[in-house]
Amino acid sequence: MTAQLQAIGRALIFPAIAIILAFAVGAVVIVATGNNVIAAYGALLSGGFGSFQSLGRTIGNATPLIFTGLAVAVPFRAGLFNIGGEGQLFIGAIAGVAVGLLLPGPGPLVIIAAIVAAGLGGWLWGAIPGLLKVFGAHEVITTIMLNFVAINLAYWLARNPLAGEGLVPGTNFVPDPVRILRLSSGLGAAHYGFVLGIVAAIVAYLLIWRTTKGYEIRAVGLAPGAARYAGMSVAANGFLAIALGGMFAGFGGGLEALGTFGKVSVPFVSNLGFNGIGVALLGRNHPAGVVVGALFFGGLAAGAQQMQFATGVPLDLSDVLLAIVLLFVTATKLVELLIGRRARSLEAGTKLEGGLAG
Amino acid sequence: MSPEEISALLASAVRNATPLAFAALGGMFSERSGVINIGLEGMMLGSAFAGVAGAHFSGSTVIGLLVALAVGLLLGLLHAAATITFEADQIISGTAINLLAVGATGFLMVQLFGSGGTSPRIDRFASIAIPGLSDIPIIGPPFFNQSALVYLLYLLVPVCFYVLFRTPFGLRLRAVGEVPEALDVAGVSVVRMRYTGVGLSGMLAGLGGAFLSMSLLSAFTENMTGGRGFIALAALIFGRWSPVGAFAAAGLFGLAQAYVFSGPGLAIPQEFVEMFPYLLVIIALVGFGGRAIPPAALGKPYRPE
Amino acid sequence: MTDHETGAGATTTGGAAPVLSMEGITKAFGDNVANDHIDLDLRRGEVHGLLGENGAGKSTLMKILYGLYRADSGRILLDGEPANIHNPNDAVSAGIGMVHQHFMLVPTLTVAENVVLGAEPSRGVLLDHDQAQRAVTELSDRYGLKVDPKARVGDLSVGLQQRVEVLKALYRDARILVLDEPTAVLTPQETEDLFEVLRGFVDQGLSIILITHKLGELLGVSDRITVIRDGKVVDTVQAADTDERQLATLMVGREVVLQVERSPAEPGDIRLDARGLEVLGVTGAPAVRGIDLQVRSGEILAVAGVDGNGQVELAEALAGIRPVAAGTVHVDGRDVTGLSAGARSDHGVAYIPEDRGGKGLVSEFTLAENFVLKRYDQAPYATRGWLRGSEISRYALERIKAFDVRPANEQATAASLSGGNQQKAIVARELDGDPAVLIANQPTRGVDVGAIEFIHRQLLAQRDRGAAILMISLELDEIHQLADRIVVMFGGRIMGEVAAEGATDEQLGLWMAGRDGENEQ
Repeated sequence: MTAQLQAIGRALIFPAIAIILAFAVGAVVIVATGNNVIAAYGALLSGGFGSFQSLGRTIGNATPLIFTGLAVAVPFRAGLFNIGGEGQLFIGAIAGVAVGLLLPGPGPLVIIAAIVAAGLGGWLWGAIPGLLKVFGAHEVITTIMLNFVAINLAYWLARNPLAGEGLVPGTNFVPDPVRILRLSSGLGAAHYGFVLGIVAAIVAYLLIWRTTKGYEIRAVGLAPGAARYAGMSVAANGFLAIALGGMFAGFGGGLEALGTFGKVSVPFVSNLGFNGIGVALLGRNHPAGVVVGALFFGGLAAGAQQMQFATGVPLDLSDVLLAIVLLFVTATKLVELLIGRRARSLEAGTKLEGGLAG
Repeated sequence: MSPEEISALLASAVRNATPLAFAALGGMFSERSGVINIGLEGMMLGSAFAGVAGAHFSGSTVIGLLVALAVGLLLGLLHAAATITFEADQIISGTAINLLAVGATGFLMVQLFGSGGTSPRIDRFASIAIPGLSDIPIIGPPFFNQSALVYLLYLLVPVCFYVLFRTPFGLRLRAVGEVPEALDVAGVSVVRMRYTGVGLSGMLAGLGGAFLSMSLLSAFTENMTGGRGFIALAALIFGRWSPVGAFAAAGLFGLAQAYVFSGPGLAIPQEFVEMFPYLLVIIALVGFGGRAIPPAALGKPYRPE
Repeated sequence: MTDHETGAGATTTGGAAPVLSMEGITKAFGDNVANDHIDLDLRRGEVHGLLGENGAGKSTLMKILYGLYRADSGRILLDGEPANIHNPNDAVSAGIGMVHQHFMLVPTLTVAENVVLGAEPSRGVLLDHDQAQRAVTELSDRYGLKVDPKARVGDLSVGLQQRVEVLKALYRDARILVLDEPTAVLTPQETEDLFEVLRGFVDQGLSIILITHKLGELLGVSDRITVIRDGKVVDTVQAADTDERQLATLMVGREVVLQVERSPAEPGDIRLDARGLEVLGVTGAPAVRGIDLQVRSGEILAVAGVDGNGQVELAEALAGIRPVAAGTVHVDGRDVTGLSAGARSDHGVAYIPEDRGGKGLVSEFTLAENFVLKRYDQAPYATRGWLRGSEISRYALERIKAFDVRPANEQATAASLSGGNQQKAIVARELDGDPAVLIANQPTRGVDVGAIEFIHRQLLAQRDRGAAILMISLELDEIHQLADRIVVMFGGRIMGEVAAEGATDEQLGLWMAGRDGENEQ
């Protein structure tokens, strides 16, 4: 047990140090612009976690990020870098809303069908770069490109076949019975999508570490040579992993559309996919870490609004803080220099080393 | 289409293509040296803001441009330091820089100009008609009645070509992105080459951003780059990492964008035209029409044994 | 170090201080002492061969000479004066040119561009392509290395690419040329051409160090040969005074350290039968050129030979990791030629690979996870797709105890174990299930003495149990200890086969050098 706790502790060091350093830099910025650091950070904290209302906002923000974080973390285990979370999320969203709008039937059944459709859409959108990789196209480039294809496709669907009657461009609201329930009145906008997010994280964990398929995925990601020796297919497992990643992002999109918004309007959401990369990075590409990372991102966003409201420090500071955190987490050598220790063994899960041409 | 409409369309295409071309050329220097730069978007955005801020507070558009270049360079060096010296992951560094730019520009908009949204207006780089050339029917005005920055781009493309293919620096740059060991054993610093490549990418992306806020428009709006940094990346890849190719691809994508907004109705909806650049890249990567092969060492950190 | 000179001034090179002298060079990487007080000197106009197996320390020594590494102690003298070489620039300025084993060429650039890289001729700010091409042509003519300066390096044959590497060194005015395993990738004809060229270099006043593990070639072209083993110089001899047998023994043989009890062999039926095997190597060139061999139940067949003659490819092809280009493999009468490694494993083929961290183990997995690498999806380690952690742990612990793997913690990651224990773990995994055929590819390489003895005992136990064992080894004494029969590989073929009882190192050494009694290979 203690060995496991030690392992968790070691895994958390880099993110923790990165966060501390980032907030230090942020403090300097706050002071330099003539504001009070304590007040600002206090508002930040309370805005994120200080009340049930805040928690509700944090949870609401975190929900899609859990899914897009898993979308990066799962393929990472197979040695692949999925940057297509944004696009996969959009496909999932539009697929879910389409089913929600078009499928007749009792609410609960339609919800389930819609969520399944969302996951399926995401799966497909992850499978495309998976397949292209077999033809030699590196997934980093293809997933970035497919993001924009997906967003445009989703918007076209939302403005044309699925267009609604309202003033705001996009689809109609899905019928009320198809909306995902709020968690409880105290928690504001947060909905059961969060619970499903936790479930998804648990499923991802079980899949990767407790199944034979997960064993293969990990072997292929850590030691392709040994995996091939054992008879595993590197290509097939990679494909599966990235399709799964897409599926998670798709679920996230569907839940966001059905839960938070009730529709896909134009514009819809932004940067949830890219932020998923940061979430996965902070969470060391482990499902549990992803949940924590998502809550961190979500809390930061919620808190930033409070900070701006209470102290006038622009909420954009939270983006700056996040960017610095990300840089510090991945620039491992810098942190090594600062804390004076060769911490190579702690680096697992912070970078893609394979290059693009191979 | 009437000649006037064609002319207007081409003019719009040139204006759309210019920021893409600048950023794509920048991306070329970075990626040719072996460092992936998906932070072009952030570098453009940061420089767009810096240019306007510089022009506003100094009263001079030219000074604003220099500030834009400086900020672009700075962001480029940040990416270089993170990835080369501190061994950060290149993708994450680029993503972080994009996020940083969004946050920093938003923050500074409020701090410096009092509110978000749109900055105060500045004197932009107005169009300058080149005598003679701008009178050529149909193609004269679009290509030769543009702002100084566009003319700068025209000059820059052959310059970049020459630098990359006809100078020792360019030779070494190309070598360092393919087989960095070859440079190492020849006694040339891989680190210095890559810093230069990435720094240049920041500056060129900066020019692209400056064009947006100081020529195309005359103010900074939040998130005004709108994904252009990624389209520029697409142009770079579709253009096979060469200056002329990237320029041509940027022109193609610029034309597509222009067509969406001012062309006669095609059966193709706007969104599909917007997808066009990205689909082209994917097709290029998979191999139709000659496979686009990235520099061999792209994305791999260089660790001499 | 002894120097078998025959009489003063007998050599054509001699005279003043040696053009290069490396004294007491020592370099360690952690625990691994790559160079241990090495002395080497090179006379003007000499071709000095540096002979040793893979991992003996030759490359490290030359990298120190070229400024890529720094020696922990020792010094380098050029023409009798101490030289400070901290980086390749210093080496180049000192007139040292290196032709690397793995070419440092940029395939997308032309020959001329590659040659001048780093010291480009320029006109103002522009690169002077014409001057570069002229320089290359001039060198090309002077040294007899014909190559088209405008050709794209990626389009050239390997032999021509090597010429470009040589031209690179010559372009920087090298007086001392070091060639690292230059013939590893050349055809015999290209090798001849290269040696012609080298003789021409000597006439032009260059001094040459030739690194190789191919004995026959060295004798053809060197004046003196220094043999390195385990990081130390074994001897420096005049080429004229020695022969392949002596060199092979110097290079490969070791003092006998251990003797393990062994009962006489009682070979039974043929369990492994390979016919007409042809296998391609990493570069696409044939590595195994038509081999027949059979191994019977209850015997150990050792495959001897200098590293790089196709042994690894043979082992991988038999294990199912590398595809067979031609020929067949039968295990217990069953044709397994088309089967993958995993499938062959099901037919009783076990394989102990050469490189522990790379192919046999997943470093970041726990020992337990590594133990089930070939059976993770079978009962009782998995049910319906779910791994059964307790079963896996139990199995792992049992294996760990049986083979005394330390530390005895199945949750420890494989990376945390010492090399010897990693190898023991692999052996423990592979030997489970009483394999029919065991292919051991240098099973004790880099492993500590205690583990070596243990592994040897296990191999003998399997053999007594009736397995057919094929063992590839670079160490003659290991072969003497374990083998029942010995075959020697050279150039992808079997040179000879002999029962272990009567085998002499001389005979083995001859075969290892490619000499087949009277016939040269």
